[in-house]
Amino acid sequence: MTKPPALEARGITKAFPGVLANDHVDLRLAQGEIHALLGENGAGKTTLMNILYGLYQQDEGQVFIGGQEVDIHSPNEAIAHGIGMVHQHFMLIPVMTVAENIMLGVEPRTARSRWLGFIGQLDYRRVESRVRELSSQHSLEVDPTALVQTLSVGAQQRVEIMKALYRQARILILDEPTAVLTPQESEELFQIMRSLAERGTSIIFITHKLKEVFAVADRITVMRNGQVVGSTTPEQATEQQLASMMVGREVLLRLSKAPAHPKEAVLSLENLSVNDDRGQKAVREVTLRVRAGEILGIAGVQGNGQTELVEALTGLRPIALGQVRIGEKTLKETSPRQIMEQGVGHIPEDRQKRGLVLRYSVEDNLVLCTYYQRPFAKGLIIQHEAIEENARRLIEEFDIRTPSARTPAGTLSGGNQQKVIVARELSRPIKLLIAAQPTRGLDVGSIEFLHRRLIEQRDAGYAVLLVSAELDEILALSDRIAVMYKGEIIDTLPAEQATREEIGLLMAGVGGHKTSPARQPVEVN
Amino acid sequence: MSNHNDFEKTSPWGLFLQQLIVPALAVVTALVLGAIIMWATGNDPLVAYRGLLDGAFLKKRALSETLVATTPYIFLGLAVAFGFKCGLFNIGAEGQFYIGQLAAVWVGYNVHGLPAILHLTLALGAAIVAGAIWSGIPGYLRAKLGSHEVINTIMMNYIAIYLADYLVGLSGPMRDPASSAPQTPAVDASAQLPRLSELPALMASPVTRFTAALLVAVFAFIVVRWWWQQRGNSLRGWRNPWVVGLISAGGLGLITYVFLSSLNRIGGPFTDRADRLHLGFFLAILVAVLVWWILEKTTLGFEVRTVGASPEAAEYAGISIVRNFVLAMAISGGLAGLAGGVEVLGLERNVKSFFSAGYGFDSIAVALLANNNPLGIIPAGFLFGALRNGADLMELRAGVSKQIILVVQALVLMFIAAPVIIRKLYRIRAIREEGVQLTRGWG
Ligand SMILES: Nc1ncnc2c1ncn2[C@@H]1O[C@H](COP(=O)(O)OP(=O)(O)OP(=O)(O)O)[C@@H](O)[C@H]1O
Ligand SMILES: [Mg+2]
Repeated sequence: MTKPPALEARGITKAFPGVLANDHVDLRLAQGEIHALLGENGAGKTTLMNILYGLYQQDEGQVFIGGQEVDIHSPNEAIAHGIGMVHQHFMLIPVMTVAENIMLGVEPRTARSRWLGFIGQLDYRRVESRVRELSSQHSLEVDPTALVQTLSVGAQQRVEIMKALYRQARILILDEPTAVLTPQESEELFQIMRSLAERGTSIIFITHKLKEVFAVADRITVMRNGQVVGSTTPEQATEQQLASMMVGREVLLRLSKAPAHPKEAVLSLENLSVNDDRGQKAVREVTLRVRAGEILGIAGVQGNGQTELVEALTGLRPIALGQVRIGEKTLKETSPRQIMEQGVGHIPEDRQKRGLVLRYSVEDNLVLCTYYQRPFAKGLIIQHEAIEENARRLIEEFDIRTPSARTPAGTLSGGNQQKVIVARELSRPIKLLIAAQPTRGLDVGSIEFLHRRLIEQRDAGYAVLLVSAELDEILALSDRIAVMYKGEIIDTLPAEQATREEIGLLMAGVGGHKTSPARQPVEVN
Repeated sequence: MSNHNDFEKTSPWGLFLQQLIVPALAVVTALVLGAIIMWATGNDPLVAYRGLLDGAFLKKRALSETLVATTPYIFLGLAVAFGFKCGLFNIGAEGQFYIGQLAAVWVGYNVHGLPAILHLTLALGAAIVAGAIWSGIPGYLRAKLGSHEVINTIMMNYIAIYLADYLVGLSGPMRDPASSAPQTPAVDASAQLPRLSELPALMASPVTRFTAALLVAVFAFIVVRWWWQQRGNSLRGWRNPWVVGLISAGGLGLITYVFLSSLNRIGGPFTDRADRLHLGFFLAILVAVLVWWILEKTTLGFEVRTVGASPEAAEYAGISIVRNFVLAMAISGGLAGLAGGVEVLGLERNVKSFFSAGYGFDSIAVALLANNNPLGIIPAGFLFGALRNGADLMELRAGVSKQIILVVQALVLMFIAAPVIIRKLYRIRAIREEGVQLTRGWG
């Protein structure tokens, strides 16, 4: 006699206007199992999870928990059934403490307050002690009194998990949790997942990184086009197999590229310093050159000044000190538009806030930076046909999965949103591409496509500045690698000489030519 | 639950009708609740609503008075909606409305000897500019210093209202010395925006009729040609935008001429001498279409909407937030100023002290009811005009306080602000049920 699965979905079907997002999907999640859910962008993974969590209603199909059929109409009901979900975009309130965030919606009151009914006093102490208890039980390190806004991304994610556990989740859904984590943070997350699973929690884990699947998963289910195409175990599968199962064709996980033939410098930074939002130096006297026909990769753990550096180069953040030259032109109080018109493309790190207007249609987002130029506008008047034609072409060329060009970009799957940005930036006449985390959230097939495009652009004489937290991506694409640590470029090495280990050490601040921050700032006029 | 209806492509008309469902049901529900309140307070709702209906539409001249009240609602609703589109909350429409009236009346009685069309344009232009400056100040403060436009537009309201009271009041510089009441002199005849009832007399000469017809023809040509070009019709034969434009221009010009020539013979509902409906109403509809066009079809509108939808993305795309804040606020105030100008030149012909009408505040509700859609402002403004105009007769007939209309308006707003109530009540599904739940994060 076998135990009933912790959760089972049978024949789940869900249609959105113009797409069948889930088409009779079956999923069995055993007790205490870590179940990886793979699938190309737009396969329907998030939709399925949102149905299980009560955010969407399925059109057809049933959900069973512990063998009992359940109807889940809202996240509250999902929680009542022991389902917790950690969205990729955290739903925490930054100005509140960890404990306050955790108890939101289920606030315990002190005993005395029962007399007063609903106007009770909040019982912080009880929450805090419960959080500490759960903390040690699951080796989930969280300080209940810390303010959320002071926490790192990894720590915020732990708070989200704690929130689910506090509500006694027995089933945990993690939708692309590692997309924004550093490798170390991911490793910590896997530890936590394993320890939770050992104590009987069942986990659904969505990711695009195949290595992670082999590191933690007990079972693997692969989706494509709204359907389940197969289920297997890490022992039986190989990366290559999984990749082709996901996208339905052979995928090259490693691209080969010819040596670069760099020419003149397109972007040069001279002792560039940039301040962060709090006015502290986030980028310190960086000197760099990116030449036409090469890809310069900036490696580094997130939060070491890469974001500020990119923002300064694209005109979104003022330059505190130093000089930036693009082509012949020196940037000085230059607006983002002027920089763009110099031939700079920018794939921003935060695609939902910066890169897209989520409410706008795909076609409008595809001309977000060029709407005022011919042929998209003549004078003041927008030329709708040209915009439509442009969208038709790019959707085809970049394989953007969308029901139509008029669909709001916000309803696209995460990976397809990213493709809209990539298509827009690569279709403009540019000579320098600044790409921050360009493959975050993309499936293996799309990553292959994008990497191939970047190398093609390089060979066509573009300069590419690639900022990525994925060491693999940096190593696969870059011709030269600069390592950023605490706002400084501590070393720059040719890619063929770089090893994973060496760069890993540099990223941790060990070694490098510029280890001492003592170098005198150069006078700038 | 299992249907795949949303799989079918919804036609533009279907979508349009779907957008109307919630506002329409909100209005109906609010009227029903209003009836219940009246009934509960011992009044007869049937008599009251019959009075409202008569007062707003059926009684002699009721419809024309309703349209008179609709006119400022449309302009001011457009003003508020334009600000909203850029993410700005212009609560100062009332003040800009005042300032527009003052500017228009000043040009109207101080400038003499211009031909009517110039004088009128100048006076309306002054109203637009004055309103734009009045709102541009809070717009600039918001853009440059980040001080919130809600506070500053409210403050500008007070300044406008008290400034008007001073200027027009007993010892004010704009007061008409010849009149015992605190009011300005009336504007010259050349600055009056004609009422329909005045048209036969004005259009007595064939030359004026011809000029008017020519203006209509030129306008029609520009609009039709553009529209035809947008539709992407072939450039050959009679489908050529130029040809189509010329044909419709000629046709409309001719119709206008004939219509104007036979005005005094038709008589008709709005040309009675006591009817106050003026050309401002038709101007309001034209301006609504123009605002729609600007927002949807021009790069200026694209920028304004982008800043409103996502300032971060706008900044990334190289769209200046500062510029658009100031611009959107100025256009918003310009529209409110124009409302004032039209009101003075078409209806009142002078400005009286304490002329507060509250149109500016109601118009926030008009914009919300229309979901900030410039074309939706027309019916929304009409509804508010009808309620305002019918309220008096309702009070008279049923003895219920006309404040009940405010209750109805408030209920409409509440249902618009919380459409879930209406959806639950009538079991209608949202246009795209989960369309609002946009994908978050990397998933
Ligand atoms: N709220 C929505 N409205 C309309 N369509 C939607 C909505 N949410 C998802 N879709 C569509 O459903 C399909 C599946 O999307 P889903 O987000 O589930 O993909 P996914 O597998 O999570 O992809 P990714 O790996 O890119 O995150 C996509 O084609 C998407 O456009
Ligand atoms: Mg997803």
